This record gives sequence, C-alpha cells and structure tokens, in this order.
Amino acid sequence: MIDFLLEIGFEEFPPAFLSKAANELSDKVVGLLNRERIFHRSVRTIYTPRRIGVLILGLTRKQKPKVVEIQGPPKRLAFDERSQPTQMLKGFMKANDLKRSQIVVRKVKKGEYVCGKKEVVGTNTEDILYEEIPKILKTLEFPRTMIWTKGGAKFPRPIRWIVALLDRRSLKFTFAGVRADRHSIGNQHFSFKPIRLEKPREYINLLRHGGVVVDPNERRKLIVKRIKKAVEKTEGKPLYTNEMIEEINCTTEYPEAVVAGFNEQYLDLPEEVLAMVLKTQGNLIWLKPTHLFVCVFSAKKKALQNVKKGYTLVVGSKLYDALFYYKNDSKQGLVRMEAQTKRMMWLKGLGSIYDKAIRLSDFADFFKGVPELNLDILERAARLCKVDLLSEMIREKDFTSLQGIMGGHYAKASGEDKAVVSAIKEHYLPRFAGDKLPSTKEGVVLSIIDKIDNIVGAFLSGNRPSGSYDPLAVRRNGYAVVNLVDANSLDITLFNAVDALLKLYKKDIKHEILFEFFTERCIRYLQDKKYRYDEINAVLAYWKGDIVDARMRCAALKKMSGKAEFTKLVIGQKRVRNILKDVKGPGKVNTELFKQSAEKKLFKKGTETDGQLSALFEARDYPKILDLLLAMRPDIDKFFDDVMVMCEDEKIKKNRLALVNLINRIFLQFGDFSRIVIEGEKN
Amino acid sequence: MKKLRTFENIILDLSKYWQKKGCLLYQPYNSEVGAGTFNPATFIRVLDNKPWNVCYVEICKRPRDGRYAENPLRFQQFYQLQVIMQPAPDDIQRFFLESLECVGFKLKEHEVRFVEGDWDAPTLGAWGLGWEVWLDGLEIIQFTYFQQAGGLELEEIPVELSYGLERIAMLLQGVESVLDLKWNNKLTWGDVYRQNEIEFSKYNFSAADTRLLVSLFNQYEAEAVRLFEKGLPLPGYDYTIKCSHIFNVLEARGAISISERVKMIARVRALASQVAQLCRQKISEQSVSEKGVKR
Repeated sequence: MIDFLLEIGFEEFPPAFLSKAANELSDKVVGLLNRERIFHRSVRTIYTPRRIGVLILGLTRKQKPKVVEIQGPPKRLAFDERSQPTQMLKGFMKANDLKRSQIVVRKVKKGEYVCGKKEVVGTNTEDILYEEIPKILKTLEFPRTMIWTKGGAKFPRPIRWIVALLDRRSLKFTFAGVRADRHSIGNQHFSFKPIRLEKPREYINLLRHGGVVVDPNERRKLIVKRIKKAVEKTEGKPLYTNEMIEEINCTTEYPEAVVAGFNEQYLDLPEEVLAMVLKTQGNLIWLKPTHLFVCVFSAKKKALQNVKKGYTLVVGSKLYDALFYYKNDSKQGLVRMEAQTKRMMWLKGLGSIYDKAIRLSDFADFFKGVPELNLDILERAARLCKVDLLSEMIREKDFTSLQGIMGGHYAKASGEDKAVVSAIKEHYLPRFAGDKLPSTKEGVVLSIIDKIDNIVGAFLSGNRPSGSYDPLAVRRNGYAVVNLVDANSLDITLFNAVDALLKLYKKDIKHEILFEFFTERCIRYLQDKKYRYDEINAVLAYWKGDIVDARMRCAALKKMSGKAEFTKLVIGQKRVRNILKDVKGPGKVNTELFKQSAEKKLFKKGTETDGQLSALFEARDYPKILDLLLAMRPDIDKFFDDVMVMCEDEKIKKNRLALVNLINRIFLQFGDFSRIVIEGEKN
Repeated sequence: MKKLRTFENIILDLSKYWQKKGCLLYQPYNSEVGAGTFNPATFIRVLDNKPWNVCYVEICKRPRDGRYAENPLRFQQFYQLQVIMQPAPDDIQRFFLESLECVGFKLKEHEVRFVEGDWDAPTLGAWGLGWEVWLDGLEIIQFTYFQQAGGLELEEIPVELSYGLERIAMLLQGVESVLDLKWNNKLTWGDVYRQNEIEFSKYNFSAADTRLLVSLFNQYEAEAVRLFEKGLPLPGYDYTIKCSHIFNVLEARGAISISERVKMIARVRALASQVAQLCRQKISEQSVSEKGVKR
C-alpha cells in the first residue's frame, strides 16, 4: 500500500469558487482511480486560499489485473467432430499465447464463437498518475480565468508550485509551466522557505507547522472555536451565518481571532449600515448590540495587537464616513433631496429622476386591481423611492448597495407612513437571481413598476440589450419582473402594462420589440422552473403577457408530456399545421357538404368541445382542458384515416379545410401544439 | 527606541528596493491623473509587449475623496508608488512581501491579506485580475496582473503594484491620521498639504464651474480626436487624460447623473482605445521595418 498527495499551489484564489474547484479536482482524481482499477482506502480533499489538493491513503501499487476476452473463430470451425481443437483454433491459441484452459465458448449475435480469456497485468499506479493527472488539471473549469505568462495556461490565479508525491517518489510532470515536485509552501507570515516533503503522510503535520491547516473541515471548526474563545468575556452575541464562516474559511490558512471595537457614537447609525460596513471590511463579526466585533485573521498570534489596532482604525474611518453622510442627509431632509431630483438627469432624453418618480406614481394606477394593495401608499412610495439617489450616502460608492434602504430611513425620519417606508426599502429586490423578494404588496408592485420603467427607458434611450451588451442590466430587470409577478400570483397582463407605460412616455416606439423582450425573459424564467423549451414555446405562441397563466399551462403540459396518447395528438396537430400551411382564408364549415360520417362526427365533437372549453378557460382548469382536447383525438384520427381532404371536388375540399381549421383554432386556444418536439423527430 | 521612518524615507527605501530588482526609476506625470496607471510609463508601455520594469511615485487626484482634511484617511490627493514589471516574474509575490519587510514591517507581527479584487479602469478600457492587499485590515496596495489595456489583449502579462504610500506610512509610524505623518523630522503631511486639501475639497464639491468644465471636456475630446487623425496618439493621450480628470471633477461636483456618467466614461474609454490601437499599429509597423533592416 502506498499514499498519494497532489497539491496545486497558487497565489490567493477567489474564495467564491475555491471549494468547488477543490471538490472537482478530488472527484476527478477519485474517478480516475476507480476507472483504472486502483484501490484506495481514504480520500481527503484539501483547500486553503493558496492551494487545492487531495491526499489519498492506501493505494495499490498496480492496477488490479484485468481479464480480457479475445474473440476467435466460430465454434463450428474451432472443433472437429470429436470436440478436439482444429488447426484453426490451435493457430489462434498460438498467436495469442493461450492455453486450452483459457478457451471458452461465447454466444454472440452471429452465433457461437470461441474466446480466449486472458489476464492482463495491471500498469503501475505511478505511470497512470503521471500520465493522467496533468490531463485532469486541464479539464478543471472556472467561472473566470487569467493568464500570467505569454501564451500560458489559464487558471483563476497564477500557479506557483505543484506537489505530486507517490509515497517517496515525486511525479515530475509539468502543468501550466510548473514542474511538479516535493516542495510545498507554507504560510508566508511564517516563512518563505519551501517545505520539503519526503512522503504524503507528513503533509498535514508539516504544513500545520508551517502555519497552514490544510483540511477545510478542521479549519472551519477551528474558526468557530476561535470566535467563541475570543468573545468569552464580552457581552453581545456574535452575529454570523454559515456562509460567512465558509467565506472566512476560504480566505484563511491559519485562523486566529481578536475582538476589537468602534466608537459607541456609531451605534446611532441604522443597523443595516453597521452590518454592511463590518461585512465588507473583511467578514468582521458583529457582537450585537454592542460596539464590539470579532476579526478572524490568518497570521501569527504575535500579530494580534497590530491586527486589532488596524481593524479598529479602518472600521472607525468607514463608520466616520457613514455617519458624516448620514448626518448631512438627515440635516438636508427628504423634501430638499426630492427637490434636487429635478436637477439629476435620468437616461438621455428621458427627463430627470423627478420625472421618473412622477411617471412611476402615475403608472401605479394600472395596478389598482391587485388585491390587498393600498394605492395611496404605492403612489407615495413611488414618488419618494428614488430620492436617496441624491443623498450623500448613496452617491458614495462604498454605500451605494444601501440604496432603497437609506431612502426608507430618510422617509421614516420625515414622518412618512410605515408602509411607504417598507415599500421604498424593498423596491430594489430582487437584486440578483435567487435574492429575496419584497415582503409587502406595495413593495412588490413598486419593484415591478420601477423595473418595467427601467426596461422601457433603456429601449427608448438606445440601450437595448443585444448579445453581451446590456449596459443597464435590463435582462436582469426583466427576469425579476417575471419572477415577482409569478411568485405573487398577480393577475397582470404584462403587454397591457407596457402599453400603459408607453402612453405615459408619449414616445414613438413599436411595442412589439418590448413584447418580444418580455417573452424571451418569460421563456428563460420557465426554463429555470424546469419546463421544456418546446413546451414553453407551444404555450407562449400566442402569449399576451400573463405569466401566471403561462406557468399553469406549462405545468399542465408537463404532466401530459411523454404519454403515448399525447404524442399521437401532437403528431396530429403537426399534420393539421402542414395541411393549413398554404391555405388562405379557409371559410366557414357548411354541414350540408359533409359526405362521410367521420366529417360529421368530428364537427359535432369539435363544436361540443368548444362549447365546454370557454368555461374551463375562464376557470383556468388546464388539466381538464387538455383532457378534453385529448378526447377529440379518436375523431381526429378517424377523420384523417377515412377522409381525403385534398380531394378533386374543389367545394368539398374547401369545406374540409374549413373543418380542419376549426379544429385547429380550438387547439390554438391553449397553445401551438405543433411546436412540441417528439422523440425521434428531426428538429 | 526604533528609529521612526519618515514619509520621504519610505519612498526612498521602496524606490531603492525596486531599483535593485531591476526597475528603472521614473517620475510622476505632468498632468492630473487618478492613478499611476494613467502615466504613459504604464499605459503606453504595457501595449508593446517588450520587457519594461519601472518604478515611480504618482500624485493621484481623486476629487470625490476629499473631506476638507477632516477625515483621517480620506483625501482628494495622495501619493502612489507604482511598480510595473513586464513580464511578471514568477517570484513577484515574494518580492512584494519582501518590499514590505524592507520598509520595516515584520511579517510575523502583521497580517497581510490578499483580498480578491478584479481591477478595472473603465475610462482606460483596462482590466486585470489580482488583489487589494490589506495590511492589518488597511488596504495598502493594489496588486494586478493586467489582461487588457485600451481594449486590447496583452500578451506579455505585466504585473502592477500600486502602493498607497500614506497608508503604509501611517501603519509604520503608528499614527491615526494621514495629517500627522512625519514627512521628515520637522514637518508633517498636514503641514505640507492641509490647506491644499481644504481648498481643493471646496473646489471639487462646490466651486468648480461645471459649465466651463463640460465645455472643456468637449474641446479636449475634439482635440484628442483631431490628433489621432494626424497620427499623433501620444499628444492625443494627453488630452484623453485631461478629459478623464475633468470627468472626475464633474462627478465630485454632483453634476452628472448615473446614466450620463456611463456615457461620459464610454467617451473617455473610446479615446483611450484609439490611443491603444494607434500605438499598437505603430509598434507593429516598427517591428516590420526593423526586420526589413536586418534582412
């Protein structure tokens, strides 16, 4: 049994995808071992900000031997009548160095053949790892990479060393211009001297000695332990989440912790400001409600006093700024800030921020039918929601992320209604995919109103997205609108909302490009909800912008999808579409002209079904609707089997086309079924 | 008692350190810039993919950061020590850490944190990957491997180190305000620059004539374009820098909206990318003619 250590050392890695990279590497190495039949006892995934790796104990020196079967001649030619090997079989055995005991008979498609069973001796583990590890490293994927030498490899940060040790031997392959060897690098606060490793088992202890806890699980526990220890004698509860601890874990090689504090006057700042400043200054952990915080750092314990002093200074300076802005803004007050919005231009040619606020407030009227919505509150919040863009706080880039939140605070200070305050605070949500949504109805609708206005404004001012160009992030805005409407089950027709807003703009623009934009956003949203692209397409073929309705139709379709009955129905609809493709203005059905019973039956079934459908569409009972449509299938099939639509008699042909069209229109009320892709179909 | 390192000695020590590492000692540029990157010794030189190691002090103007000399850490003007090594040496991180030891930080007694910072200079169409380096929580250096400048991909990857000299000096001298830094044994930073901070803060936030500045911006932009047409990217670059500074003042003055801001940045970036393209063109023409001579 031997051990294997692989460590890729680099300059500090982006914490957001460190653990993912380490897991990918370790999974791929284990996958290789399994595939190559190399037994191993235990696997440890390694990551710190400066390395990813894997430590594998108890490997076999060689691959497990493999038995291969070599196909020989057919059985009937291999043996003579006395079941003795023929010359042919003897030749085969000789050529492949086989003994009689290794010969078996196998039944294959073409008949019975003899086979030679042969054991292939395993390759050395060393040779396999030497060959395959660099290949694995090449396949690692990252969201963002860089190069650091001319024409060199791509990786998130420069690779500076690689350790590849199989027991006492180093595997000297080269990756990204770096030759693998047996020297690791420790924590640079401790020493620059490389750490020489004789064998993998020394790794964890020697690195610990060099100021690196390489095992992420051990380090995570240590971080929490250090925090608890640091706050033992203080009041207040450390305020942290698992995400924060993991982020600290990804930026720390050797955790130590120290408590520091800020001047108590800063406790006058809104909580969100304090929390944001502490978070952005290095994941500092607030001991709420005190003026203290914990700093986890990654250096020698000796550094404790300097670290404490440093973070105290930095946090103090940031909070000084925050309080400076906050006081100035409060002194200025909401009313004067609002007056100033008249001077701040929004998008080119679209007036000021003040004009935008008035427009949002007017647009609010469109949403008056939303249940439990207080329109007065919404209109007031719309008027005030952009005022904080004029505050000193939000104009400073360190605090811009607090937009809305500060607006809420300033509105509260000037005595606005509580509901107005919450709507303002929440109206930027969701800021990214997966972010939380506003909690109040007014907050939800204000967010929608603002985002639709951002989108329309972008299109009107020449900032329409195309390809990777989307300077005002309108795609994100569009997605958020769809998400908000659906998550709150709002009965809103988006296209009508767009039209209502365009009226307020009094600008000449074809609304189709906006409809197209929202349709495309809705497709993306529904895809993320795991609906099939072709089914979404079928549903949105004649879409008017009702998101909830579209989702319900998709859900109903999804239940049907794949069933044999349904597939036949889709095939039928494709046929219908084909027949009708070149037909212009099919007229009305004349029952007098029916010649065959299948025509009559289909017409009867169609009109019957159509009569039942309108109430079901009203009730949005889509599963039932699909059942009814499905129930038409026998009559449709019968019709196509028995009746020749394109017959000689022009009159009868026209009448039959009219019937097909009638049926088609019934289906189109739900969606365009011909867009659904069925298995085996080329598309 | 430890000997106190004065501000000027820190500059000297760092310069000498990088001189020993092979850097040419250059000087600040003669026009207002927001960072050492704007200096042609960086922006123009990284375009030509030839070895270039340089170190210089840059006087950086960030109009929005002025606080009338009232905030201990925020000023509208500060000193950067800029190091460019092209191509980036493999040991650059160690060189950098040793430079900190060379000015007097014992790494065993501090925390140096490399905080992911994807750097980009939107007005220069330049970006790179690297870190903000924090010393005991205080950002003191920007450490960047350039990937693009003037919208052009770079081949020989340069590394840029931008030291915030005042902040480094604060930590070394143990003072809590930049104003209290000992420049030499007699004068403080405040003695030298306090009045300057107060006046420029007033200028940037309230006294600047926005109408004049907007008009200057337009004229400088036009002049840059005219010079490009004449095949003179370097003088044209001077006017690009001026546009960039005027934009910064207008922004501090609160005279431009968010969306106008985007547009103005795009205008400056368009100039910078023209500079880059013209310079690249000249470089490739030169190398063609050099090859011709050899033949």
